[in-house]
Amino acid sequence: MAQQLLNAIFIGSIYALFAVGYTLVFGVLDVLNLAHSAVFMLGAVITYSLVALHGVPFLPAALIAVVACGLLGLLIEFVALRPLRRRNAPPISALISTIGLALIFVAIVEQATPGTVFSWLWQDGANSVRFPSGAVPNPTYHVLGLTIEGTKLLILITSVVLMLVLGYVIRFTQLGRALRAVAENRRAATLLGIQVDRIFASTLFLSSALGGLAGLLFGLAISDIGPYIGRDQVELKGLAVIVLGGMGSIPGAVLGGYLLGLIEVLAFVRFGSNIEAGVAFAALFLMLVIRPQGLFGARLRERL
Amino acid sequence: MRTGARAIVVGLALALTACGGSSSTGASSSNSYQGKTIQLGAILSLTGAGGVYGPSSQKGMQLAVDKINNSGGVNGAKIALDVRDDASDKIQSAQVAQTLIQQGQLLALLGPTLSNSAVAVHPLAESFKIPILAVSTTGIHIVPDCNFPKTDPCTYVFRDSLGEETAIPTNIKVYAAKSHPTTGVLMVANDDKFSSDGGKIVANTVGQYGIQLLDTVAFSKTIADFSAPVTKAVQKHPDVIFITSLGGIPAKIMIEARKQGFTGQFLGGNGFNTAVVSNQAGADGKGAESGSAWYLNNTFPSNADFVRNYRSKYGNDPDQFAAQGYAAILILADAAKRANLTFSDTPGDRTKLRDAMEKVNIQTPLGPFQFTSTHDVKQTVWVIAMDGHGGFTLVQSVNPS
Repeated sequence: MAQQLLNAIFIGSIYALFAVGYTLVFGVLDVLNLAHSAVFMLGAVITYSLVALHGVPFLPAALIAVVACGLLGLLIEFVALRPLRRRNAPPISALISTIGLALIFVAIVEQATPGTVFSWLWQDGANSVRFPSGAVPNPTYHVLGLTIEGTKLLILITSVVLMLVLGYVIRFTQLGRALRAVAENRRAATLLGIQVDRIFASTLFLSSALGGLAGLLFGLAISDIGPYIGRDQVELKGLAVIVLGGMGSIPGAVLGGYLLGLIEVLAFVRFGSNIEAGVAFAALFLMLVIRPQGLFGARLRERL
Repeated sequence: MRTGARAIVVGLALALTACGGSSSTGASSSNSYQGKTIQLGAILSLTGAGGVYGPSSQKGMQLAVDKINNSGGVNGAKIALDVRDDASDKIQSAQVAQTLIQQGQLLALLGPTLSNSAVAVHPLAESFKIPILAVSTTGIHIVPDCNFPKTDPCTYVFRDSLGEETAIPTNIKVYAAKSHPTTGVLMVANDDKFSSDGGKIVANTVGQYGIQLLDTVAFSKTIADFSAPVTKAVQKHPDVIFITSLGGIPAKIMIEARKQGFTGQFLGGNGFNTAVVSNQAGADGKGAESGSAWYLNNTFPSNADFVRNYRSKYGNDPDQFAAQGYAAILILADAAKRANLTFSDTPGDRTKLRDAMEKVNIQTPLGPFQFTSTHDVKQTVWVIAMDGHGGFTLVQSVNPS
């Protein structure tokens, strides 16, 4: 059982990290960025391609991938969001345009095989791969009868540290204050001299960098890197997590992530098999009925 | 382009009919084939979960098509292969099949890749009376009872892929005789026909070899993290973990189980038999055994030629799915050659082709090939083991009883 709780904490960390980026964009821009799961996937794919195809050591590769994903966030802002905002399009249009970008990102990877335009990025088409053995040292520790893998420990520490840093940035820095001001009231923030477009761009960069990091950690821990990992494994769950935690709330996303991990694993241990996803989404449904604003949702009074 | 080609074919057929040249005897059939096109359609999973298998099937088929077309075709008729992706989705698979069938000119279909999709596609082909040759489906109730639970045989459905009902018991038998395991845990994806069929076969087989199934860990093929199911299995300390699942899942389970300290044996089904899975599992998969329809290093000429040509065309090694795809085209070509096709009466030609397929007896990369009376394959089972580097070694070959 203790081992299963550890399993829950590890997968919960990844859900949380993914959901934090998801909820950040929603909190600030009022838009669900459905390309977030594709950026998650690209975080894993870019790191893999740097390590396996271009011989870059893991840590620099991971760093480059995170920055690249941040830049993809800017691409999402400039291509899918900003033009629509300029035209005062309703949020649903932005949602659709991010789905479009997600499809394009996935298709690029899915179609990339040796000899194609994107073979520098990916060569395995629809297949899943793992990091080459030895590329990432993964010591395994046995403590009190529990098996703890180095990579999973790394994930836990990285997630917690990053979430704390993000919390600090949002609460106590100039950027954080500006973010919160924009989230609160876009027009008032503009009147106060905050450059809203720049805040939006920073938000997308930050959110996508976190999403990419979650993706590469997922690839590392689960040994599953492929074009569908975002769409199949975290997209809906991420959505569930941020609804559970309260749309736009960062502590909510963190708690929601761990809660979903825990619910899933416990449901699996207790009921087994396919009930797992059912139980997770039943919990979500209950939450919506009992407390529609989510765990930390402040009824839109204060966000982030 | 395609419509143009079809128009020419139809035009030629009409011209021939107008001339009264209705050659009906086998001897003169080769002339009426000249310049014609034998149109085949394949429904494969090129993307999605089955994307591990579909592209291999496609490459194998294309290799055979090119080989036949470049050496004079089938009595002078060229083969045209139209490959469509079903994205590993049952409903999409049925839609693609419907589209292909309604185009009207196809002589036969190949596929679909997954047993799960075959349940939807095969009855469709049967009802339209178009021969369909499954190239990778290994589940239960594929042939002859494609309309299961109805038991009347489907007369247009064939398969050249070795069923799990043969492969898994053979695999277990070979391993039991060698290592005498006493306990096992079955890990099975229970929301997929191929996987759950495999699980049933394992559960029904282990008893007769003295292996006690300590637990059956069922999971959904859609889950991301296999650590929880694997923990459940590993904590029973079994001698063997049986894995019946598809796509990258067997590899992910092996990796996770080794991380959690499992040192026993992995046995499994057809889901193991591709280089992609062996590659993803890497060193963690080394020694994992499965029953396969084909083995890379077999040296009989029909396989050696296939492997050599495949390597020179694609630059890498074929796998079982490529071999079965390749064999499928050889089978259809051989049947078409003997079927005395008219190229004007498509429904009639389809039935003629079906009749000829039942009498196929040729050499393929899988070995000598014939269909059983129920349209299933009867062939040698090659028990293979992952070598830890993306390939396989031969453990033992078992001839059909």
